[in-house]
Amino acid sequence: MRIHTLLMMVCLLLGTFQVQAADPPAKPAELNSTSPGADLWREVRQRDMPVEGVTQVQGVDSGVLINAEGDRWARFRIEKPIRYAPVVLLVVISILVLFYALRGRVGIEGGLSGRMVKRFSDYERVVHWTLAIVFLFLALTGLILLLGRTMLIPLFGHDLFSLLASASKESHNLIGPIFLVSLIMMVVSFARRNIYEKGDLTWLLKGGGFIGKGHVSGGFFNMGEKSWYWMVILIGLAISISGLILVSPNFGQGRVIMAISHVVHVLGAIILIAVSLGHMYMGSIGTEGSIEAMKSGYVDINWVEAHHDRWAQQVKENDEVLTAEEFARLHGRIPESTDNATGQS
Amino acid sequence: MIEYLIKEPLWYFSLAVFCIGVLWQLARIIFAAGKTDLSVARGSASGGAWRNVFSRFVPHREIAPRIRLQVIGGYMFHLGLFAVLFFAAPHVHFLENHLLGFGWTPMPHWAFIVAAQFAFFGLILLWLRRMLNSVSRLISTTDDHIAAILTFVVMLTGCLALGSGFHALNLLHLFTVELLLIYFPFSCLMHAFTFIPSRAFTGAWFGRRGIDA
Repeated sequence: MRIHTLLMMVCLLLGTFQVQAADPPAKPAELNSTSPGADLWREVRQRDMPVEGVTQVQGVDSGVLINAEGDRWARFRIEKPIRYAPVVLLVVISILVLFYALRGRVGIEGGLSGRMVKRFSDYERVVHWTLAIVFLFLALTGLILLLGRTMLIPLFGHDLFSLLASASKESHNLIGPIFLVSLIMMVVSFARRNIYEKGDLTWLLKGGGFIGKGHVSGGFFNMGEKSWYWMVILIGLAISISGLILVSPNFGQGRVIMAISHVVHVLGAIILIAVSLGHMYMGSIGTEGSIEAMKSGYVDINWVEAHHDRWAQQVKENDEVLTAEEFARLHGRIPESTDNATGQS
Repeated sequence: MIEYLIKEPLWYFSLAVFCIGVLWQLARIIFAAGKTDLSVARGSASGGAWRNVFSRFVPHREIAPRIRLQVIGGYMFHLGLFAVLFFAAPHVHFLENHLLGFGWTPMPHWAFIVAAQFAFFGLILLWLRRMLNSVSRLISTTDDHIAAILTFVVMLTGCLALGSGFHALNLLHLFTVELLLIYFPFSCLMHAFTFIPSRAFTGAWFGRRGIDA
């Protein structure tokens, strides 16, 4: 009985296999298509343009399943700023090093006289240095955030970089708004004297003295300084506003606006950092006597005559030139002798 | 090991130095032998003290325009720092768990950030003014600079640790706080405890002599 039953089961199983081998079931119609969900996913992806769908979830962009612009933005970020920002900065640094090697420090004809003219008030210098310190901090932390993944992870590893990135992000976001306030203070303090005037174009055409021979005439600020000033204000405002949009994502701005803000923020920052390197060079080691303007607030009269002759004429007419002794006493330094005090002139 | 050192022995040591140092300094001032004022009182000493404590919050009209930056920067820094120190959520929780055993409602995160920005901005303005004004620079001591830099470093490390996901950053902040606590009683930072008694003492002296200043 048992053997009979076993044989029947074996026959049944063999029969089943034979049936399956001989007559496979027909595929469902959908499976015949090369990519069954292609149409559906094409709609979901919304490659051409984000399309708002209908959803019960209330919120900005909540009707968009996948934002194709996000891909485009991410690709742009990786392919352009992250790739070219270090190149731009290295090129600028190389130019400055080369310029210094070839030209050296731009000196003053006749040297420094020791006779000084007040150029900036305490308040103006505080505003300048506040903006400068905040800008440098933001530039450093911003570059860490932008370039860290490609440049710092190979150096420090993931653990240390993640710590550095977190610290940079938090401090960048916190200090950022101070840059905007400093910028507004900068506008209030310096805007009036940076309005373009007659004679500025000549300065530009002569390349600030680098093209052709002879001295280029300049007022209190020359064309180069004015252009740098307006660049700081305008690009700085663009960076600040885009930064505020990025740091406050809960004010109803969508992802597209966030992506555009990011692009504006990064490009503006790279331009400003690159040009600021030139400003720092010219204001310190590049030009003799320049740094004194932002250190003590006073500049040498020979420096004024060399770079800002129209202003030099004004200060002489108004009798605003201090002797070296007067300047030293004003800064709590009593000169050793009158000979030293009067300087070379 | 480093974590243990910062969180346990150094924390208690710095706290002890701070508390004992502050009490010692205050006691030294209170019990300092002063000459007894034998003059006939021309006015109320207590009235003068109270008046001076509050009137000094506003600068004299004559000098106000010249010290606008210090006044604005000073208020921004001190009020911002006070708000961050006592009402920022991480600090309230720290004080509750490690020191007091009770807490209070912290301010919202956005207010914490704004207060921190005020403090940073104020401190930068004040320190730059100290460095750039020739008179301020001359009368500033090493202690003034160390105090300003140490306070800035503490605020900066706190700012870096805002993400709170990284233990090392929190430890770094705690370590700088401990350095500040140790330095505090022996520096100009003691003005946090002495500015009110100092004003009151001067005001009482003026009041007794009938000086309206």
